[in-house]
Amino acid sequence: MDIGYTSAQKQFRAEVQEWLGAHAPKTRLPSFDTAEGFELHREWERTLAKDKWGNVNWPVEYGGRGLDLISWLIFEEEYYRADAPLRVSQNGIFLLAPTIMEYGTEAQKARFLPPMASGDEIWAQAWSEPGAGSDMAAIRTKAVRDGDHYIVTGQKTWSSRAVFADWCFALVRTEEGSERHRGLSKLLIPLDSEGLTRRPIAQLDGDPGFAELFFDEVRVPAENLLGPEHGGWGVAMATAGFERGLLLRSPARFQAAAARLVKLYKQHKDRLSSGVGEQVILAWMNTERFCAATYKLVSRVKAGASISSESSANKLFWSEMDRHLHRTAMTIMGAQAELEEGLDTIQNGRWLDGYMFSLAGPIYAGTNEIQRNILAERVLGLPRK
Amino acid sequence: MDFRFTEGQQDLIDAAKAFFDGENTIERMRKTVAGEQVSNLWPQFAQLGLLGIMAPESAGGLEQPLVVMAGIAEAAGYAGVSEPYVEIAGITVPHAKKGELSGPIQRAMLSDLRPYIDASLAESGEVVNSIDPLRNLVKAKDGNDENAESANVHGAILTAAQLIGLSQRMVDMSVVYAKDRHQFGKPIGSFQAVKHQLANVYTQIEFTRPIIHLAAIKGGAAVHNAKVAAIDTAMLASETAIQVHGGMGYTYEVDLHLFMKRAWALCGEWGDRNYHMKRLEDYVLNGDAELGPGQTFN
Repeated sequence: MDIGYTSAQKQFRAEVQEWLGAHAPKTRLPSFDTAEGFELHREWERTLAKDKWGNVNWPVEYGGRGLDLISWLIFEEEYYRADAPLRVSQNGIFLLAPTIMEYGTEAQKARFLPPMASGDEIWAQAWSEPGAGSDMAAIRTKAVRDGDHYIVTGQKTWSSRAVFADWCFALVRTEEGSERHRGLSKLLIPLDSEGLTRRPIAQLDGDPGFAELFFDEVRVPAENLLGPEHGGWGVAMATAGFERGLLLRSPARFQAAAARLVKLYKQHKDRLSSGVGEQVILAWMNTERFCAATYKLVSRVKAGASISSESSANKLFWSEMDRHLHRTAMTIMGAQAELEEGLDTIQNGRWLDGYMFSLAGPIYAGTNEIQRNILAERVLGLPRK
Repeated sequence: MDFRFTEGQQDLIDAAKAFFDGENTIERMRKTVAGEQVSNLWPQFAQLGLLGIMAPESAGGLEQPLVVMAGIAEAAGYAGVSEPYVEIAGITVPHAKKGELSGPIQRAMLSDLRPYIDASLAESGEVVNSIDPLRNLVKAKDGNDENAESANVHGAILTAAQLIGLSQRMVDMSVVYAKDRHQFGKPIGSFQAVKHQLANVYTQIEFTRPIIHLAAIKGGAAVHNAKVAAIDTAMLASETAIQVHGGMGYTYEVDLHLFMKRAWALCGEWGDRNYHMKRLEDYVLNGDAELGPGQTFN
């Protein structure tokens, strides 16, 4: 076991620090779930991409630096330490990109990865349907092959970023009469396609963070099929593994929040009851445990292991850790927790936003109840019925 | 950066695990509880090199780092080994003087954090009765050895490692029981109310083991984090396991109690939750160390 960073990795950390120090916005951007905020975040993606900081672990030919996942973790640590903006391109770069790298053709990689890296094409996910939430195999949106196109008809929902994004990756039923996990395929669809209507849905914070998508005979080129036709479930599960597992939620984001929580505690400790300090410590401890576990996971992945059902444990841990951390902040803020202006001018309102967002964690990417079923059945071996 | 055991280290841990599981069977534990004569494992500990895991090569040891001992301690916890093997190999031996290593060592480090010790490690001392029927304890002498501070770190990490081994054992026993026990015409393990509780314990174990390994290599605040996390995990594991076992879990006949009581005992040894939490108060709430991203492995 070796937990040291190489001198190249230390040098890399210093470079990241220096670049972010010079380029990261000094004030927080408006939420990317507003029209203005979305475009400002897209600009930030372009700034990152210009100097090849957007996706350091991607191959060089697609806009990355070809570095390993340890370097990616280092980048994330410095990124959140610098309090740089959240990634508006996260659905694309963290979920779709690894899926394209695994299942895409060379032509698809060349077509989709560079504009994703540059921020020119921002992606939304289109999996859930009104009747297919936790039971995702109940998907009914269908795609019928017509020459060199698919014709897509149906409805998707909870599509994050879809209000302002450019493309979506959808899971649709391509095989007529198929049921459950069989006969599904993954299609890449431009959100400005004819016949596609987006209806923004206001989230808990009032901003349209996700949308409902209505497909009325939308024509999609057959070359936009990602992975095998009718084999989309396996492709989607790979994406879900990335979502629950490693990439979407690196430890740094939570560790930065824990450090802010400790500051908040120190500012207000004189009026707090004695149990609050322990909750703050537990929140910090959890982020450290999550970080140690992530380095363990990355070490295994680097050595060739693939992430399977254990990504469900990851998702349970980070989502509940995040909710607990923000709930603790709300406790500290007391009567002022309800104010959108927030208690502290430096932190203006961010705890309330963070708490609301943390409530989504145990729901999205497969509810925590689904994750517990997966762990119980596939890892512990308890009977399905 | 490769936060995994090397192949050689993993082989060592696997061999120790196979030995513990093969020798310290449930049968052997039951016999010990019943006061019957059981096999003496000490000659085998010695023959297999398990006592010298951390001893210097010059003294015939394997000179392995503490993190490997943590892997072995987890296996010992899982098997419910009651001999103070982890104590000798992981705490006394690495702090022993060179000359002492030429013969068998059967003593414990003195520390305020560990008021009761195995009777075989003390020349004398008032006998105390542990709730764990497999622990034979006496009151330790007051005071601290000169290396007590380092022994405390070893002790905290190795009890934490045993606690997650015990936690995993209690999960495994509960899974076996929940698959076998039928109610309402189905195995109780098919009910989500049972599944979800066990999934929670599994998750806590998976997110405690890495911080124990980090603590074993890096020391510092991670040691206190590791012990508190292991205590909380072990208490959750034992409460969940008895709930899954239902009335059977509340009996002296079903073996779960042996592992549950061992867990309770080790929670308080080498610094209880209050001790380690107070160290974390000093570090997190009252200290000025930089917290947040980039500090964990630096």
